[in-house]
Amino acid sequence: MASTVIGAGITIEGEIATDEDIVVAGTVRGKLTAKDSVTIEHGATVEADVVGGSLVVGGALTGNVTAQERVDLQSGARVIGNVKAARVTIADGAQFKGSVDMDV
Amino acid sequence: MAQTRTATGARDASDARIGSAARVRGRIQGQGNLLVEGHVEGNVTLRGDLTIAEGATVTSEAISAQAVHIAGSLEGNVTASGAVRLASGARVRGDLQGSSIVIDDGARFSGKLDCEFDLPPELGGASQGEARGRASNVSGARR
Repeated sequence: MASTVIGAGITIEGEIATDEDIVVAGTVRGKLTAKDSVTIEHGATVEADVVGGSLVVGGALTGNVTAQERVDLQSGARVIGNVKAARVTIADGAQFKGSVDMDV
Repeated sequence: MAQTRTATGARDASDARIGSAARVRGRIQGQGNLLVEGHVEGNVTLRGDLTIAEGATVTSEAISAQAVHIAGSLEGNVTASGAVRLASGARVRGDLQGSSIVIDDGARFSGKLDCEFDLPPELGGASQGEARGRASNVSGARR
């Protein structure tokens, strides 16, 4: 069970920081930082720079992403921004515009 | 909107939860219930119930929601369309407005209460229950 959940009807404009994980099903504008996993669910809208341990995107994300471990863009995801992580997957059906930096 | 996953742990797709390790600085608005276990700085506007759990801190100029249940620490004014409850252990500084207001034993509160209610005719002095009362300027700590 995720420690922090931004429900589908909720909009947060500002800064969210957590030492644990976070699931976004609603809207976040600003900045999103988590020590553990960040999940942006299908239907969610995030216009923010995201820093996390790992990141799974199924929804819409505009912003730059930095993950300690990995970034997975699922089918249906729509991502505009630069992605920096050691491991990155982009599933068939994901839309992505930006650069990928795997630090090679 | 249908909930596609149960892994979120939320009771409902529109429910939200700010975990104990989380800090939010900014504006929170929307539909659904919100449970705050962590720290929130900023205004909260909800069409749903707000719960400020034990150990949580909320600093806000304005909070508006349906029912508001406070067991943690709150600095700010509350406008509730439903009931407001300050549970034992709550620390609240600010003005409260709600359809009903409950302050449990052990809650600490400093601020104004605004809760319209009908006075019984023998107290209000008016017949036919026309009298209305209003509690205000309540300040104090219980325990």
